[in-house]
Amino acid sequence: MKPRQKQLLYAGAALLIFVAWMFYTADGPQTTAVLAGTVRAATLLALGAMCGMIGERSGVVNIGIEGQFLMSAFVAFTIASMTGSLFLGTIAGVGMGLVMGWLLAAMAVGLKVDQIIAGTVLNISALGLTSFFYDRSAVGIGKYTNIDLGPLADLPLLGTVFFSRPPLTYLTMALLVLVHVALFRSVWGMRTRAIGEHPGAADTVGIDVLRLRYFNVTIAGGLAGLGGSYLALEAVGTFSRAMSGGRGFLALAVMIFGRRTPFGAYAAALFFGFTTALQNQFQLNNTFDIPPQFVGMLPFVVTIIVVAISGLMGSMRDPAALGQTYEKG
Amino acid sequence: MAPKRRHLLALLMVLGLVTAAACSSDGGGGISGGYSIGLVTDTGKVDDKSFNQSAWEGAQDGAANIPASATASYIETEESKDYANNIQLFVDDGAKIIVTVGFGLGEATIEAAKANPDVMFIGVDQWQNEALPNLAGLMFPEANAGFMAGALAGMLTETNIVGAVLGTDLVPPVVFFKEGWENGARYTNPGVQTISTYHPGGLDVAFGDPEWGATTARQALDQGADIIFGAGGATGNGALIEVAGEAGALCVGVDTDQWFTVPEAHPCLVTSAMKLIDVGVAELISQAYAGTMQGGNYFGEVGLAPHHDFDSIVTDEMRDTLAEVMAGLADGSINPMPG
Repeated sequence: MKPRQKQLLYAGAALLIFVAWMFYTADGPQTTAVLAGTVRAATLLALGAMCGMIGERSGVVNIGIEGQFLMSAFVAFTIASMTGSLFLGTIAGVGMGLVMGWLLAAMAVGLKVDQIIAGTVLNISALGLTSFFYDRSAVGIGKYTNIDLGPLADLPLLGTVFFSRPPLTYLTMALLVLVHVALFRSVWGMRTRAIGEHPGAADTVGIDVLRLRYFNVTIAGGLAGLGGSYLALEAVGTFSRAMSGGRGFLALAVMIFGRRTPFGAYAAALFFGFTTALQNQFQLNNTFDIPPQFVGMLPFVVTIIVVAISGLMGSMRDPAALGQTYEKG
Repeated sequence: MAPKRRHLLALLMVLGLVTAAACSSDGGGGISGGYSIGLVTDTGKVDDKSFNQSAWEGAQDGAANIPASATASYIETEESKDYANNIQLFVDDGAKIIVTVGFGLGEATIEAAKANPDVMFIGVDQWQNEALPNLAGLMFPEANAGFMAGALAGMLTETNIVGAVLGTDLVPPVVFFKEGWENGARYTNPGVQTISTYHPGGLDVAFGDPEWGATTARQALDQGADIIFGAGGATGNGALIEVAGEAGALCVGVDTDQWFTVPEAHPCLVTSAMKLIDVGVAELISQAYAGTMQGGNYFGEVGLAPHHDFDSIVTDEMRDTLAEVMAGLADGSINPMPG
């Protein structure tokens, strides 16, 4: 990142904090409610974006995140209500995510199927299978509750927004750091970025391109699986058909908006979450008499603008080998 | 990967696709000969635990009630562009009665009724401007149901803030529920603050988004609402379950007695604003079979579900007020949607 961009970033962040504080002093409960809703809506998107990011950094497009969410949410809910344990349900959801990731890898990397088709297969199968096997008499066993992080939770505003959250949200925040370090500070990360940019060159220095792609896409599926568990066991507390409601695709937009970096994606996810929370608040307050669909549309409009502008400025670039199958030459 | 394993994998994937295709628009069994009743849902699901499910139960009851050995089956609409196709599937299969569920199918149902005068149509939540002899619109005074629930909420709230998490304002019955709910709360508690939110999405997602429902319910709870009305299929169910996790907060279900359909909401469910859709659909099916069904609009009943675990917090005084409200709504002295 150039120094000038960095300055802009810091200035923007400072401005945001100032504005948030102004609103907080004006109306504490409402500001807290909106920001808490923002963080909550961002968690699933962040997990989906990390899943997509690891795949794309290694050169594999994953548009099957929606299906991975849905399938994992289904398995997480089913196992949790069978065993009575949220923890086991979560593990099962992550497991299912790994299986879905492996399926994508098997198709897109192993069988060299067109990556878009492979992702679509995941989405369609997940919708069909979960609809078919969903047992509507199954009852949820509740959901993860908030854990207060000691004295931090008593801080004004920040306490409720960041330090009184359910466990999978904390886990997601930790994973953001972990994935960032892994992608940009580890050998694995360097190899991953190499096979996404120039698999031929990576191959000549002895990296097994197909094997690493296989591994990465599978592991990334685990992140989406955690997203599914979050959806069923922390956000909602039950399963209903097609409950992912397009968030897997939204996660892809978040990933692109965030330039395929974990922190960038989280910022984008927070922004998307914020618009949802904000439009809810407009309605709750009867502030403006504008249709809810209008504000609901804003994040997409902003995404288009941002992507277009970065495209024009040439500052956003896909990994060079994105979407291409690799044939060992 | 060895060639053999690769073949196995390919086979597995084909199987997965076939399974998915087979159930992507799953009907409740094929139509055999004899008297058959078809039901087409809106983009909500037949097991949505409220609106569509209630209509489907009504269709099954209706089939069981008529003397001929009738079979009922359903098609779930995946996308709103398929409304007409799904209705046509039942027409082609020789269904005698077709029930279409939801405001969104209104136009497609009218078209189909005009094109197929021999088939009887029942349109749930579909207002008929002109009466066709073979099409009955099953309507409900949702504003009355909302008003009763709101009246109870106005008396029960301690923070004087009541919230509502709703499907979409693109569907008139949802708007009637909301307006009735808010006016009811103000009727018994003039100082009450009502905070309500509609889902920002279109018809395709507004009733199937429990995560939004839950997040929004939390947002309303965070700013002091202590009783929340969740009205909008799975979206509303998400709100109910979220409220169930908040100690001391109450929730109100919609369409059916959600005590039985959303057990996760037991810790908060004080009542449900019911539309007796199942009763209405079953009655219209009997009429259609007997040949006595009138075209035009048919009005079903609404009511409040029992209080179940919360029977003790609803005092005799509140019950008296509720009885007055119901009487007032019935004789027209109370207007649930003034202005």
